[in-house]
Amino acid sequence: MNDSSIIKKKICLLGMFGVGKTSLIGRFVYNTFEDTYLSTIGVKVSQKIMPPLKLVNNKFIQHNFLIWDIEGFRKEIDITKKYYTGAAGALVVVDLTRSETINNFEELLNLFKEINPNAKIVLAGNKNDLINDKVKTLSMLDLVAKKEKYDYFLTSAKSGLNVENAFNKLSELLLP
Amino acid sequence: MIYSFYENIFKYLKIGFTYLSKDLKVIYFNKEFKSYIVDIHNPIEKCITELIPETVGLEDNLFEIASGNNKSLNLKYFAREDENGKVFYFNLLFYATEDPEKPIICLIENITDLATKEQKILQQQNEILLLESYLLSRGEFLFASILGSSEPIRNIQKMVAKISSVSFTTVLLLGESGTGKSLVAKAIHYSSQESKKPFVEINCAAIPESLLESELFGYEKGAFTGAVEKRRGLLEEANGGTLFLDEIGELPLKLQAKLLTFLESRKFRPLGSNKVKEVKVRLITATNRDLNEMKKNGEFREDLLYRLKVITFNLPPLRELGTDIITFANHFIHIYNIEFNKHVKTLSKDAERVLLNYRWPGNVRELSNVIERAMIFIESDVINVEDLNLHSDGKNTFSSKWTVPPEGFSLDQVERDLIFSALEKSGGNKSHASRLLGLSRDTFCYRLAKYKPE
Repeated sequence: MNDSSIIKKKICLLGMFGVGKTSLIGRFVYNTFEDTYLSTIGVKVSQKIMPPLKLVNNKFIQHNFLIWDIEGFRKEIDITKKYYTGAAGALVVVDLTRSETINNFEELLNLFKEINPNAKIVLAGNKNDLINDKVKTLSMLDLVAKKEKYDYFLTSAKSGLNVENAFNKLSELLLP
Repeated sequence: MIYSFYENIFKYLKIGFTYLSKDLKVIYFNKEFKSYIVDIHNPIEKCITELIPETVGLEDNLFEIASGNNKSLNLKYFAREDENGKVFYFNLLFYATEDPEKPIICLIENITDLATKEQKILQQQNEILLLESYLLSRGEFLFASILGSSEPIRNIQKMVAKISSVSFTTVLLLGESGTGKSLVAKAIHYSSQESKKPFVEINCAAIPESLLESELFGYEKGAFTGAVEKRRGLLEEANGGTLFLDEIGELPLKLQAKLLTFLESRKFRPLGSNKVKEVKVRLITATNRDLNEMKKNGEFREDLLYRLKVITFNLPPLRELGTDIITFANHFIHIYNIEFNKHVKTLSKDAERVLLNYRWPGNVRELSNVIERAMIFIESDVINVEDLNLHSDGKNTFSSKWTVPPEGFSLDQVERDLIFSALEKSGGNKSHASRLLGLSRDTFCYRLAKYKPE
């Protein structure tokens, strides 16, 4: 039987307020969902050990994600920047029912990449349960993801759709 | 001695503190510090990242402080839950000391009271911004607002997708009052390539005939008494985008002729002007009236009707949408939760049944009003039957009180008889008659016109 080598990784959840960052963590880490909106102030760190991924020197590499649920990004208030320090990756969340959450995406990402140039990025188009397949935000997200060559997932914290897949992808990208 | 001095101050201020070595290991800590660490048994010689998970990833910054290259690192508003699930907040501060044996001091300050207050303020700010955002989204991406999965709704979605891919076509939307004609018009516009161009909406019934022409086509200074300066008409305002003429059946005959001229040439002349203007617009018109009947009665121009009917679409009444009624109701619950700061989660099964059995004479608009009214007064998180306050006059009671005779009958004849019976009972008062039948006045008039003797 092979042992595991658990590596701690700091992962930031980025996005404007109300996109569902806390709900995604709720679904991923605790398998819960609350329909009511409670705004996050500051940051809350949750942990989850990811499934083993790769065998290196007879040991499975496994990530322990320290997931930073960071207060929603707002252009005019730059308090979130400090929280980005030392992140290995980020799940950038947009709300598929609100186009402006995609419009502000590049600015937010540039800020994060400035601090963590080598960090891995995955995008999540959240609240997929609230839209139909013709909504324009889908093509906006697709366009942004293709331009920056990021993987993206259409997620729903409510139904759980693709939530694990998004985090698993990030774990996979962080393999040495 | 010095530890004891600090310890007393920090104890008084309820601040946790620890000294870290240059390799970030705990050298000394006070009692308050223990309440923030995950392994309280033997923190000495353990790395700070093992004890405080929030410090993972900060190692490089902390080494900078330990080596004297950086003075401090200040991270605010960390949230955690205690063993009872209660959230508390703390600030985490790292400062460089001048002692090479213990080069970093880490302070942890509980700021729960302050943060809780700030969270409440932020919550209110964000709720307002979210509401604004939803309102904006309702305008920008109304396509997403065409909720539901019933056959008629899927047809609407397909139709909107097809029409929006064609620029500057002419569309006629038909349907009872409250079926969402305006929403569909907006959805067509905002899903199209011209979505950034103007969407101009005008209700032909809401503007006096004398003003409608100048509103639509604009005027030159001095064109008529009161025209003190030149004004662009709505047709020109909509150039490049969409002009939506709601209640087109109310357009006066004189203006019908002018609109026809415009539709044939895409050109028009503002009042008092010699210059012809040309615009490119997608024209969407809507009505709940029977334009064919109006045409027969000489109230609507036949040639204009054919121009408007390039693409015609009938919007289904709510009662034909089956369980989509519940989808819409849940959507309104979501909207009004934000608007009224309520936390309603769902409808009870009985409430769902009542909604599904109701006839919805006022269609989606009525459903929205019913949910809004329920949400204003509700105190629990589930909407029950009594919260809906629906009157029985809208209920589908035919199944229990009416039966079809073995020889069958003509539904049209029954409807006709009921309409005239209601009119007779109300002494010719259409508003009263429409109430007797649980219809909106517009719907009643539409049906009355349908059965009016030639």
